[in-house]
Amino acid sequence: MFFRWFALLSAVMALAAAATRPHYGGTLRVEVEASVETADPPQTGPGMADLSGAFLVTRWEGGRVAVYSANEDAPGGRPFLDSVEIQMGRPLREQVIDLELKKADVVELGPSEVRRAPAPRKIWTSAPVRLLALVFSERISDARIREALALAVDRSAIHNVLLQRQGEITGALLPQWISGYAFLFPTVADIGRARGLTAALNPQSRALTLSFEASALRPIAERIALNARDAGLGVSVSQRNTGADIRLVEERIADRQPLRALTTLAAAVGLPQPARADTPEDLYTAERALLDAYRIIPLFHLPDGYGVNPRVKGGPGITPLGQWRFSDLWLETGRQ
Amino acid sequence: MTFRTRLLWMVTLAVVVSVGLVEWMVTGTTRDAFERAEAQRVNALVAQFRREFARRGEEVDRAIGAIAGSETALNIALASDYAPYYNEASTLASANGLDLLELVAGDGSIISSAEWPARFGYKEDWLVAGGDWQGRATFLRREELADGPILALVAVGEARAGDRRVYVTGGQRLDRAFLSSLVLPEGMRVVLYLPPNQLIGPLGSVPDAKVFAPLVADAMNLREFSRVVGAGSSAEIVHAIPLIGAPHELFGALFVASSRRDLVQMETSLRDIGVALGVGGILVGIALSWWATARVTRPVRVLAESAQKVAAGNWDTTVEAGPEDEIGQLARAFNRMTQELVAQRERLVQAERVAAWRELARRLAHELKNPLFPLQITVENMQRARVQAPEQFDEVFREGTGTLLAELANLKQIIGRFSDFSKMPAPQKQTLDVNHLVADTMKFFEPQFALAHIAAKSDLDPRLPAISADPEQMARVLRNLVLNAIDAMPQGGALLVKTAARNGGIRMEVSDTGQGLTPEECDRLFTPYYTTKTHGTGLGLAIVQSVISDHQGRIWAESQPGKGTAFRIDLG
Repeated sequence: MFFRWFALLSAVMALAAAATRPHYGGTLRVEVEASVETADPPQTGPGMADLSGAFLVTRWEGGRVAVYSANEDAPGGRPFLDSVEIQMGRPLREQVIDLELKKADVVELGPSEVRRAPAPRKIWTSAPVRLLALVFSERISDARIREALALAVDRSAIHNVLLQRQGEITGALLPQWISGYAFLFPTVADIGRARGLTAALNPQSRALTLSFEASALRPIAERIALNARDAGLGVSVSQRNTGADIRLVEERIADRQPLRALTTLAAAVGLPQPARADTPEDLYTAERALLDAYRIIPLFHLPDGYGVNPRVKGGPGITPLGQWRFSDLWLETGRQ
Repeated sequence: MTFRTRLLWMVTLAVVVSVGLVEWMVTGTTRDAFERAEAQRVNALVAQFRREFARRGEEVDRAIGAIAGSETALNIALASDYAPYYNEASTLASANGLDLLELVAGDGSIISSAEWPARFGYKEDWLVAGGDWQGRATFLRREELADGPILALVAVGEARAGDRRVYVTGGQRLDRAFLSSLVLPEGMRVVLYLPPNQLIGPLGSVPDAKVFAPLVADAMNLREFSRVVGAGSSAEIVHAIPLIGAPHELFGALFVASSRRDLVQMETSLRDIGVALGVGGILVGIALSWWATARVTRPVRVLAESAQKVAAGNWDTTVEAGPEDEIGQLARAFNRMTQELVAQRERLVQAERVAAWRELARRLAHELKNPLFPLQITVENMQRARVQAPEQFDEVFREGTGTLLAELANLKQIIGRFSDFSKMPAPQKQTLDVNHLVADTMKFFEPQFALAHIAAKSDLDPRLPAISADPEQMARVLRNLVLNAIDAMPQGGALLVKTAARNGGIRMEVSDTGQGLTPEECDRLFTPYYTTKTHGTGLGLAIVQSVISDHQGRIWAESQPGKGTAFRIDLG
């Protein structure tokens, strides 16, 4: 009797061990919203460039599809996956559908999809590494306009509804998890004060244009325009308007080191280089200096989010900074 | 103007007035009928719009009711966090064919807005203040959207879960799409006015917006009315419907316009046809009246011509008597009249001839009787002296024969004057300066004027033209008139001889300040052997008239008793 039970238990454990054991082979199907239209695959930045080393590009159709095959001579050893097939230019909504229909293994998730991902839910999220901010053009020289808009934006409503509480509300450039002092920057809206600032402006200067790049940012841009309207500013929203007065930008934090991250961010949004800072206090002062003129209004720090097919094992396939690490992933079905 | 022309004018006028009156009545009646039909057409469209409006309202009501009663709405009402439902309104609006939809929490906060997604979290206090919305009909509401205010037909529903509730409010925009969805007859259009200055048509903007500008003010006074705007074929009849929402708030106006082009074209065609018919009728009427008046007036014209002939002295003129109508009777009466006139003239001539002979006999007897009586006395004296006093017979005989010779000479003179009158010669005309004749005559009579204590004077027109006349006869005429004037002023007086140029001829006037004549005497003045004097033959003025008549002139006398007499002669 004991042996019979022991044999049964051994068999179950053997099966469980077999199930968690990596398999070689298979193609990981990835979909991304971005459409890289270059002639050659990207060599830097997040996403596909992260695959270099473990995988080698075997097919590249700019803006449509890229296929990376396992590098047999990878420094850390051959990845389990035979290849990674990346479909570019897929809208977020269709990515979710493809994941649901099991036509994709890894898809990007927008804020609303993160909370409403289909069951069985498997999500990879990074730390808040994308800064969503408003950047004013040099034309907007009146600081009252910039400050009024900073005071008008109701970050909380956008965070709760449009971002589905993903990421963090911020008034700082660096996220809390990197700087540790982000909470010191004010984020609360003050419409009364904003109205006070705009009341003295002439009507022409109250009319502004706001541009955004990704379609997913449109609701946020429109909500900001609505908040601005409450403050007495007329903001018209348009996509990819290079001549806009204000840009709603998304900048990625690519470094865990605070000063380097701040320097990179400042350069990306056209701010002056921060002063050298060896201590957190100096860094805070440097960042404060960058934000004092309201040339940039930090709004949120957002994480990267991916919906993952349950057959993908060995994850998470991204780092806290959102970099792809697919070399350790394997598929449950393996090579077929 | 002839009788025929006058008759033609009258008939033509009657025809024109009749045709014009008929044309005016027909045009007016037709226009009224068209106007009524047009008004009915507009009313029908307005009624159609109202039905369409009500139908859309029912659709909106049904859709809102369906959403409020859906499981989704119930789930939202039960949810502790509304954030996941941020996009729900767009989905539900699209599924239910609504332009506008908002899901609003019990506290009035917008959970989800289809028309303005960014407005989540904002308050819709009017929903909370509205109390219980169950069973309320659709109504008009002005909605503020990102690109400006719009007008919408909205309904409100409620989803309740215990004490939690979610308001569902939405509807359809009253916009270009709504207007273009209305099925309108040709020539009609609908224009929506939204304050302050937005005019929307089925094709978007309204090109002739200024046409509606005057109507907006009246429509915004909550007044429904119809009015014709524009002119000519571009005119329209516009029915204005104020768009009033709850609670009795004016949101705009709807203008249902119907083109009057067809009406104007029809009126124009009618007018053209009427004018053509009228002109044709008038021309035909004139032609007929021309013919009719010619037919009617021909006998009258013939009668008139005959009457003129009669007036000219051709008394035996007759006209052709037509049928037994008034004109025929008139012609026959005319013929009878001319026949009677001829007969009367003959009788008159005969009577006058007899009277003239009697007068001649009387005058002859009178003139001859005066010399005969002394002759008889003289002869009787001589016979008596022969018997009773032969010794004185020679003396008586000598005196008697002297008397006899004198009286015989007198008789001879009388007979000579009668002979002169009967043998008036034809005038020997030559150029005559009448002023010169007057001057000579006045000079000739100067001694007599002095004896008779008459102040004679002449007033001669230097512009007096020369005339063709017999100088001897004209001198006799003037002398006769001057002698007459001297005889008329036995106690003296004033005599004036005056000449004046007149219409290419002359007028000569001899006036005195004598006793004057009665009208009866004036009438008979030129009758031979008529005289008002105790002496004379009564042939002087008759001879004067005879001479003037032979010169194709005219003489007449004007007189008033006690104020003198003027003789006037027109010659040339």
